[in-house]
Amino acid sequence: MIMFYLLCFHYALCIMHCYLRRGVGIKEGQERIVEAYVGEYASGKSEVALNRALNLVRRGRQLVTLVDFDLVEPFYTLRPLQKELEKRGLRVLAWETEKTMGLGEAGTLLKPEIRWALQRAGDVVIDVGYGVAGAGKLALLANVKECLELRVYAVINIARPLTADVVGVVDYVQSLGTVHGVINNSHWGDDTNIRIIQEGAQIVTKAAEVLGLPVIGTTLEQRFAEQIKGNKLMGKPLFFLERQMNRYLW
Amino acid sequence: MVEKAITGEKRAFMTGNEAVAWAALAAEAEIMYGYPITPQNEIMHYWTRLAPKYGRKFLQTEDEISAGFTTCGGVLAGKRAFTATAGPGNILMQEAMSMAEMLRIPTVVVVQQRGGPSTATVIYSQQETTLTCFGGNGEGLRIVYSTSSHQELFDYTIKAFQIAWKYRFPTFVLGDGYQAKMRESLYLYNPEEKGIPLAEPYPFLGQEGRPGVEREPSHLRNTYNTEEELYQIISRYVEDYERMTPEVVEYQASDFEDAEIVLIAHGIVSRAARAAVKALRSEGLKVGYFRPITLRPFPVGKLREIAPKAKKLIVAESAQGQLFKLVQEALYGETVPLEPYFKPGLGITSEELVEFIMF
Repeated sequence: MIMFYLLCFHYALCIMHCYLRRGVGIKEGQERIVEAYVGEYASGKSEVALNRALNLVRRGRQLVTLVDFDLVEPFYTLRPLQKELEKRGLRVLAWETEKTMGLGEAGTLLKPEIRWALQRAGDVVIDVGYGVAGAGKLALLANVKECLELRVYAVINIARPLTADVVGVVDYVQSLGTVHGVINNSHWGDDTNIRIIQEGAQIVTKAAEVLGLPVIGTTLEQRFAEQIKGNKLMGKPLFFLERQMNRYLW
Repeated sequence: MVEKAITGEKRAFMTGNEAVAWAALAAEAEIMYGYPITPQNEIMHYWTRLAPKYGRKFLQTEDEISAGFTTCGGVLAGKRAFTATAGPGNILMQEAMSMAEMLRIPTVVVVQQRGGPSTATVIYSQQETTLTCFGGNGEGLRIVYSTSSHQELFDYTIKAFQIAWKYRFPTFVLGDGYQAKMRESLYLYNPEEKGIPLAEPYPFLGQEGRPGVEREPSHLRNTYNTEEELYQIISRYVEDYERMTPEVVEYQASDFEDAEIVLIAHGIVSRAARAAVKALRSEGLKVGYFRPITLRPFPVGKLREIAPKAKKLIVAESAQGQLFKLVQEALYGETVPLEPYFKPGLGITSEELVEFIMF
């Protein structure tokens, strides 16, 4: 009898697990999207990741989780934005200031639910903060090896001196571990012009050739749309960013 | 031949901490000594990442007392040496910097102010103004540049080396956690290509030749036997400092000719002040702007020229009156009223300054 109950319990767990893995809220035939954005410190990972997550919500995908996976400054990056993003339909996994009393610089810290982020139903977009450690940090997430949907994208801004040329980008991306594609996010913040975006697309394309990786596209603000013919740069799509991070100092 | 860190001029996008690391490379700094503390950590991170590539060195010490003294040691050996710190680390470095004042050691220290007192916040404040200007057990014979942007962090870090070695006073670049962590664009350049002179270091100890026979002996003292002996030395140092003052003092001033109110701020708050003055001018209000860039020595002359024409001066700072005291001292004897706008440990926006002045 006990064996029977145990067996039932085991099956129940299996069914639950499959259900979670398939992703509640994703229509039949729709692939679950799991993406991690890595890149140089201040390359624009957070901006790209949160715009991607918002875009998925806008496209009507039911459950989209944005993960602030920053072990070094886990209380700051998305701190001022969290509530606002949740109002816009995103689920945000990040530390809340009021729950981190005294942890201002307690060393590296992983929020427990972030460890299990890949188990969540629906789409998961991970902002791998504080660039130096690279994609290796993803090993801290539970079941990362089994998560076949996971795609890791390197966000490149050629205005960052260490990724300013083809050699720099290649060296940097190779240092990150497993990467599935590169994104040109070249900009100078408020001082951005079309030249840096175009130059970025060229350098990132050449570097991607050397790396044998696909270029996913170029991310840029809508204000540059008219200056680019055919809605493509170097044959790759454009993704328009609604800038959020510039409203905050940290 | 080691590759030059920067050739030509290049626009880049980065955090303020990285801007400092690049500036130290551009200034041909040879070694950084340091101990980690937020919000200056990325100065060390980027220096250690870049240093091996350009043949520079780094030593992580056991604490900031040691980081301060090893920086002094690096300079005594004739190297362009620097360190960076914040908050409690800045306190611990004061003993070494006090010695640097006494021995006239041209150290360079970058301070990214965090909240105080004690550990407080890792984020931001302007509460290290007094400490950085007058932290030692002496007369504050040091140079303190207060920056307000990444470009200035870059420019003044380069300048700090040159000025420190030229006048032989410890020199500080005073930033803050906001500047440290925020991202904006700046131009990186090679100072030599722009005709900006680099510091010319020389060893204070261990020079060639037999001391007393082939060369003057190096007799560096931070201990004196009598009051008279000390008095003589300090008087000479004060004289040197006062002679230097008109050559190094820097400020920004605008819209003050007809100003009824002059808004005074330093560091990053001066950006809010400048934007507020612009907004208020467009509303027809006669508001002027004054920003000391060197907090030590303080631009007393210019402030005393501007102040009497105004009906009121407002001092805005993210501290409880540390800039205010410097202004008060500079204006001793003037009757123009001073009004405080103090937000210790908190950022100040142009919008709130506009509101404060208009209503």
